[in-house]
Amino acid sequence: MTDFRWRDSPDTIARLVNAENIQTLSTQQVMLKPNEACAMIIDGRIGDILTETLLKSMAGGFSRWIGDKMGVTANDRRLLFAMTGPMDYWIPFEGQIADGEKAKGYANLRLRMNLEDVPKLLNYFANNAPTLTREGLITIIADEVNARVITPCLASCASAADLREGAFLERFEMTAESEMRNLLSNLGFTLLKAFPITNPTDMELVQKHRATVQAKTAGTEVNVESQLAHYAQTEALTLARIELETNVARAHARGQVTIELESELKEVRAKEAHWEAERGHERGKMELRVDEADAKSKRAMDMFAEVQERKSNRIANQQDFQNQRMEQQNDLQTKMMEMAANNGALTPEVMQEFLRQQTAQKAVDGTASESANISPKFCSCGTGLSPGWKACPSCGTPIA
Amino acid sequence: MIGTPLDILPYIRGVQLILVGYNGYTKGSRLENDKIVREEITRATTRVRSHMQNVFDSQFKGGNVDIARAAKQCMEECDYLIEDVSKAVSGMEHAFLSGQRSPTNKDLKKLIKHDHEVIEMVTKGVNLANSSEHSIATEEGNSKQIIMQTTQMISSCRGFFGERSTVLAGLRQKKVKK
Repeated sequence: MTDFRWRDSPDTIARLVNAENIQTLSTQQVMLKPNEACAMIIDGRIGDILTETLLKSMAGGFSRWIGDKMGVTANDRRLLFAMTGPMDYWIPFEGQIADGEKAKGYANLRLRMNLEDVPKLLNYFANNAPTLTREGLITIIADEVNARVITPCLASCASAADLREGAFLERFEMTAESEMRNLLSNLGFTLLKAFPITNPTDMELVQKHRATVQAKTAGTEVNVESQLAHYAQTEALTLARIELETNVARAHARGQVTIELESELKEVRAKEAHWEAERGHERGKMELRVDEADAKSKRAMDMFAEVQERKSNRIANQQDFQNQRMEQQNDLQTKMMEMAANNGALTPEVMQEFLRQQTAQKAVDGTASESANISPKFCSCGTGLSPGWKACPSCGTPIA
Repeated sequence: MIGTPLDILPYIRGVQLILVGYNGYTKGSRLENDKIVREEITRATTRVRSHMQNVFDSQFKGGNVDIARAAKQCMEECDYLIEDVSKAVSGMEHAFLSGQRSPTNKDLKKLIKHDHEVIEMVTKGVNLANSSEHSIATEEGNSKQIIMQTTQMISSCRGFFGERSTVLAGLRQKKVKK
């Protein structure tokens, strides 16, 4: 048993096979897949329509030959194979839209064949070759598609832009569905989908060219603007760089001047510091001298105060001594006067003598005190010196 | 499945009302019956499509694009369902030691019930499509609404039919509590 191949090209849609022409020793069998169907036409009648099965003993073989010879089999056996699955058919068209512009393209029709419609292909095979291909089907339906679908649909388009609208596609499909039913139904096909693919028209090409040129011009313009902007940026950059360099040089020069001034300032500060140090040193020295002089004067003052104190003590002592002596003398004279009075010797002569001695004594005491104030002394610095001082209170010079 | 269990007998009877010769998935005829069921679903869907096609033609030629568009959408939905059904899985009996899982009796019972429900649903779709065409012819009721209900029914049927592979694979869908 051998396998019979009814389809040897993807373009084959259907094929009418006369079983009488298959005269082989081995029996032929054919496998029918889910998208394939086989209608058996026995003695001019349509028999079974098979699919999804293994059709055994479809033709050939010794037993069938014997049957033929004995006349117990059918006189005419034909097998009509067909593809039932959806297939696409591209139909070229050329027409005019409403403004007279030419439109070219392809109309795509997606067709399917129902299982029970397979025998309708006999309408085709009655006047054509026993093999139906895509080209054959397109040849049959192209004229009608052009006349009934494409031309009216193109005529309804006012401009090329209408060809690209969804409404045009919808109208095309609906028109195809409605207008092509007669022919397709006669052939056993069912239209699933239809849509046109229109090539760019002349005006669209012109518009495309215009758009390209405009885009190019716009591109050039953009490039020029970009270049100009680049130059402006470069100019600004150069100016900024020059200004920057100038500023840097200026700042550098200013910095030099500043450095010089700073160095001079440093020198001045150094001198100031030096002078300050010297002044401090001198001030210190002067303060030392003043302190020393103050110390000397203080010491002289202290010494002077001590001398004055001693002098006052001495004067007080002398005064006390004189007072005591005067009191002793007065007491003595009083006692002498009393004794003289008691003894009756108090005469005027005695009194006179007494007064004379007393006056002389007072004169002696007064002379001793006045003689010290007669000759005042002065130091070399001009300070007056009192008796009893051992050094000058101003300059500290010892007094000889 | 060697015998026909009693619990699925009503479903088989239901399918038999539509498909003469259907006998459930008894041994030896399971794949054939499966094919018959799928062809019936396809046929019913084609009926819906034919109704919608009529609606579309009349409305498009009458300039009523709105309803024509709805009818076209329903036709497309029918095409999708037909394509789904024609290329649906059937399940197969694997060899004992192949390591593959073959559908069990329980799966097949579930599949019978599922087939019955799908056919019922498509039948409802056919009725709706018929009503829509009748509504347009008599100008009674909201035609567009009925067309869209038909589309919705076919779409639901498509989704429901998709459970077939799940049933054959032996997976269980969680029942929704009512």
